[in-house]
Amino acid sequence: MLLQLKNVSKWVQSGGQKIFLLKDINFWVNEGDFISIMGPSGSGKSTLLNVIGMLDNFNEGEYSFLEDSVHTLKEKHRANLYKQYIGFVFQSYHLIDELTVKENLEMPLLYKKFGASERKSLVGDMLDRFNIVGKKDLFPSQLSGGQQQLVGIARALIASPKLILADEPTGNLNSKQGEEIMETFTQLNKEGVTIIQVTHSEKNMKYGSRVINLLDGSVV
Amino acid sequence: MFKHYIMIAWRNAIRQKQFTILNILGLSIGIATCFIIGLYIHSEVTYDTFHDKADRIYRVNQPNIWEDWKGVSSTTGPNVAVALREDAPEFEEVTRILNSGTQIVKTENEDQTNLYKEEQYFAAEENFFDVFSFEFLKGNPKTVFAEPYSMVVTAKTATRYFGDQDPIGRTVEVRDYDGSWKTYTIKGVLADIPYKSHIQFEVLISLKSFSERMEAHGWKWIWTAFSTYGLVKEGTDIEELTAKIQEIPPKWAPPTTERIFNQTFEEFTAGNPWELRLQPLSEVYKSGEPTMHSFGPTGNPIFVKIFGAIGMLVLILSCINFMNLSTARSSKRAKEIGVRKVLGTKRKSLIKQFILESTLFVLIGTVLAILLVQFSLKAFNTIADVNIELIPHFSNPSFWGIILMFVVMLGLISGSYPAFYLSMFQPIETLKGKVGERFKGKGIRNGLVVFQFTISIALVICTLFVQKQLGYTSSLDVGFKKDNILQIHNIEQIGFDTETLKAKLLSNPAFSAVGKSFGLPPNVWSGDRYKTIGDKDDVVQLRNLRTEEDYLDLLGVEFLAGRNFDASRSNDKYKVILNEEAVKILGWGDKTTYKTDSPIGKILAIASGSEDQFEVLGVVKDFNINSLHQKIAPLVIIHHQNDKVWDYGAGLSYYSMRLNSMLVKNPDDLQGVIDRVKQDIAAIDPAVPFEYSFMDQDFENTFISEKRMATILNVFTLMALIIACLGLFGLAAFTAEQRTKELSIRKVLGAKVSQLAILFSSEFTRLVVIAVVLASCMAYLLVDWWLQNFAYRASIDIWVFIIAAISAIAITLLTVSLQTVKVATSNPAKKLRTE
Repeated sequence: MLLQLKNVSKWVQSGGQKIFLLKDINFWVNEGDFISIMGPSGSGKSTLLNVIGMLDNFNEGEYSFLEDSVHTLKEKHRANLYKQYIGFVFQSYHLIDELTVKENLEMPLLYKKFGASERKSLVGDMLDRFNIVGKKDLFPSQLSGGQQQLVGIARALIASPKLILADEPTGNLNSKQGEEIMETFTQLNKEGVTIIQVTHSEKNMKYGSRVINLLDGSVV
Repeated sequence: MFKHYIMIAWRNAIRQKQFTILNILGLSIGIATCFIIGLYIHSEVTYDTFHDKADRIYRVNQPNIWEDWKGVSSTTGPNVAVALREDAPEFEEVTRILNSGTQIVKTENEDQTNLYKEEQYFAAEENFFDVFSFEFLKGNPKTVFAEPYSMVVTAKTATRYFGDQDPIGRTVEVRDYDGSWKTYTIKGVLADIPYKSHIQFEVLISLKSFSERMEAHGWKWIWTAFSTYGLVKEGTDIEELTAKIQEIPPKWAPPTTERIFNQTFEEFTAGNPWELRLQPLSEVYKSGEPTMHSFGPTGNPIFVKIFGAIGMLVLILSCINFMNLSTARSSKRAKEIGVRKVLGTKRKSLIKQFILESTLFVLIGTVLAILLVQFSLKAFNTIADVNIELIPHFSNPSFWGIILMFVVMLGLISGSYPAFYLSMFQPIETLKGKVGERFKGKGIRNGLVVFQFTISIALVICTLFVQKQLGYTSSLDVGFKKDNILQIHNIEQIGFDTETLKAKLLSNPAFSAVGKSFGLPPNVWSGDRYKTIGDKDDVVQLRNLRTEEDYLDLLGVEFLAGRNFDASRSNDKYKVILNEEAVKILGWGDKTTYKTDSPIGKILAIASGSEDQFEVLGVVKDFNINSLHQKIAPLVIIHHQNDKVWDYGAGLSYYSMRLNSMLVKNPDDLQGVIDRVKQDIAAIDPAVPFEYSFMDQDFENTFISEKRMATILNVFTLMALIIACLGLFGLAAFTAEQRTKELSIRKVLGAKVSQLAILFSSEFTRLVVIAVVLASCMAYLLVDWWLQNFAYRASIDIWVFIIAAISAIAITLLTVSLQTVKVATSNPAKKLRTE
C-alpha cells in the first residue's frame, strides 16, 4: 500500500458552526494505481488532493504514507516526504514565466540538491522522453497550452516521484490536447507511476483504474 | 460625481489601512520636514524687514585696511559718515553705531546698589531712530539722543534695573575706561528687540557722550570701529551713488594717513582701492558677509542652501513614496478600474479621479504635517538654535495661499504617475484578475526606490563624514596642551597692577601654573604691520599676542631657537618672540636654516607710524592661535610691559591657570576652585565682573556652527531614511503580491523557507547595492567640497562607505523581512488554487 487515509475530516469554523470541507474520508492507494477523483464544484476534490499532497492540513483522522504517519510528522519532515515522493501537475500549469523550459525542469532538482552534471542529464532525459528538446530554450508564453502542460508533467516527473497528483490537468486544454495528456498519463502509469487525478470529465475518468466520487466532502 | 470620487477614495483608504497609514505617514513626514526648512529659510531671508524704511537702508562696508585689503569689513572710521553727509546729498540720513564693548552699569534702586555687566551696549547718533524703526514704549525718538549721556533701554532691561518703577528720568552710572563712573539719564524705553534684527542691544547711549574722544583722536579714518548706515532718498540710483562715493576716501583720508603713518594715501593703501560698498539692509544678515560684525547674529547662506536642498530632496522622496505605494496598491484597485472602463468611463476621467484622490491624501498629509511642525518646532529651535514660529503665519493670507498651491502641486505631481499607470489597465484583463502578472512599470518603480536610497545613503555618508571631521578637529594637536586651562577674563578692569591677584592665584595649590596674556587662543585677532630692518623693507601683517613669560610656559609651546622672556632681565621688555610662520614670511628661513642663519638677534620694526625696533629673542614652534578652520597665522609675541607697541593698555587681558589635576578631580572640586578665584577678585575690586572660560571649550566652540549643522543633518537624514524605508516596505509588499504565485510554485517544488527568503530579499538588496554605489560617488563629491572649508581635513576613508553600505543593506533586509517571512511561510496550496 502506498498511502491510506482513515476517517480524515477537515473543517472551518464559520459563525460558531463547523463547515466540513472533508468528512470522514476513508481511502487507500496501492502502488501502480491510477485513481480519478470526481465530483461537482465545491465537493472537496482539490482539498482532498492537497491533503494527500501534504500541502494542506486536516483536523481529524489518520494519514499514513508508505511507513510514515503523516498526521504525526512535523512540518519539516512532511515537506521532505512530499519533496521526495510526490510530483504535482496543475490545471493552469504553474510554470514560472521568467524561466525557460529547461530551467523550469531543472528547478525541482535545484531544491533537491542534485549536482550540476546530474541535473543536466536528468533534464536531457525528460526533454527526450517528452519530445520537447526543440523547445528547451523557449519561455512558457511561447508554448501552446498542451505543450505547457507537458512541461508541467515533465517537471513533476523529473525527480522520479512514486506518486503524481494532478488537479484537473486538462481543464485548460482543448479536447485534442487533453487526450494527448491523458495518453501520457496512461503511459506513465504503465511504467509504474501511481497517479491520482481530479477531474470533471467522464471521459478522463475512464483512463483511471478506480474512481472516487465526492459530494459535499464525503465519499459516496 | 465629485462626492462619489471622495467616497470611493475614503472606502479604499479604510479598507487598506496598512497602506493608507504608510502613505499618509510618509507624506506628512516629508511635508513637515519641508515646512520646517521652509520656515527656517523664510526666517533667515526676512531679517531686518520690520524697519519701515528697510528697502532704503544701506550699510557702508569698506576693505579691511588692517589686513590685506582683500577682506571686507563691516565697520569704518567715524569720518566716513561725516564725509557722506557732506559729499553725498542722495543720503537722507547717515548714522553711526559704535560697539564699545562690554560695560559695567551701576544702578541705585531702593537703597540697593546693583552692578550689571552689559554686553549688548552700543552708542548711537541722534538720527538713529530716523533710520531704524525700533518700537518705542516710552520717550520721544526724535529727541532721546539730543544730549550727551542719554540712554535708551529695552523693556526687559528697564525691569532689570528698576523693577516696575518708571525708568524715565532715572540715572545710572557706567564705568569708563579709566575707571571713573559717568552718569547717564534714561530718556526712553524700547520694546524688546525683535529677534529678526541684525542689531541686538539692551542698552543704547547717545554717541554724543563720546564726542570729546572722537574729536581728540586724529584717527578719523582708521578708528575702524563704527558701523555706518545710510538712508537714501527715494528713487536714488544705487549704482550711480556707489560710483560717486568712491571719490570720498582719496579726498578725505590723506590727512589721517599722513599724520598717523607718515605715509601718503597711495603709500598707505599700496595701490589697493579704498572702496566704499553699499550693502542693502536685507543682505546684511542673510549674506553672512562680511563674516564678522559687532551687533548681533549673522546668517549662514551655506546652511540655507544645504537645508533648502535637503528640504526639496525629502519632499521628493516622500512624493516618490506616495507614487510607489499608490501603484503598489494597484492590483487591489484593478477590478474597480476594469468595471469602470467596461461601464464606459473614459481614461481622462479616471486620471482625474486618481489625481483628485492623491490631492486628498496630500491635503490630509499637510494637515497632519502642520500639526507635526507645531509639535516639533520647539525641539527644532533648540537644536538648530533658531527662533522660528508657525502660529503667527496663520493670520497671513498668503501663507494659506502658498499652502493651497503646495497641496495642489504636490497632489498633481504625486498623483500623476499612479493616475496614468492605473488608467492604462485593459478592462478584460483586470476583470480576469490578470493585472500584475505581467505588470508594467516595474522598472520605473525600482528606479524610484534606487533614487530614494541613493539620496538617503548619500545623506548618511555625508553625516558620518561631518561627524568624523568634527571628531578629527577636536582631537588635533594645536601645538600646546589646551586641556585643563582655566581662564579668567576682565583683568584689564583691575588696571595695571595685577601682581596682588597673581600672588593669590599662585598661592592656590589647585593651580600648577599662572600666566597673564592679552589675548586667548583661539581668538587672537589683533595684528599690526611690521617690517624687517636692513636688506629690504617689505611690510607684512603679523598677529600680536602680548603675554607674560609665564604664559608661554603654561601653554607649553616649544622653542625652536632662542629663549622665552626672562623676568629677571629688564632688557627683554623690548624684545619679541616669533612663530615659524612669521619667520618664514619675514624671509628669515625655516627651521632647517635656524642653525646656519639664526633669526635670533634680527631686528623687526613696526611699520605703522612709530618705526620702533625690536630684537628677536626666540622662535616658537607654530601653534594654533585661531580655530582649526584656519592655517596658523604669522605671530609676534610681545612682552607684557612693552609700551612701544600701540595696543598697550587698550587690550583686554586675562589670567590663565593650569589646573593641578591631582587636586581638581571632579566638578565639585572645580566649582570650589572657581568660587575661590571669584572671592580673590572681589577682594581686590568688587566692580570687576567675574567671568571665566576653559580653553579646550573655547576651541570646541569654534566648531559650534558645524556641530549644529551636524545635529540638524542627523535629524533630516533620519527623516529621509524613514521615508525611504516606508517606500521600500511598500515596494516589498507589492512585489510579494506579484510574486506569490512564483514563490508558491517554488515551494511546492521543494524550496525551503530560507531559500525563498533569500530569493525574495535579494531583489531589494540588489537595488540597494546599486544605490550604495551611486550614493558613494555623490557623497564623495559633496564631502570633498565641504572639507574645503577646513584647513585641517579628516581623510575620506573607504571604511565609512563600507559602514554605510552594510547598514543600508541591513536596514533593507529588516524592512522587507516582514514581507519575506510572509511569503516564505505562506501556504502554497491557498495561492495556487485553480482560478
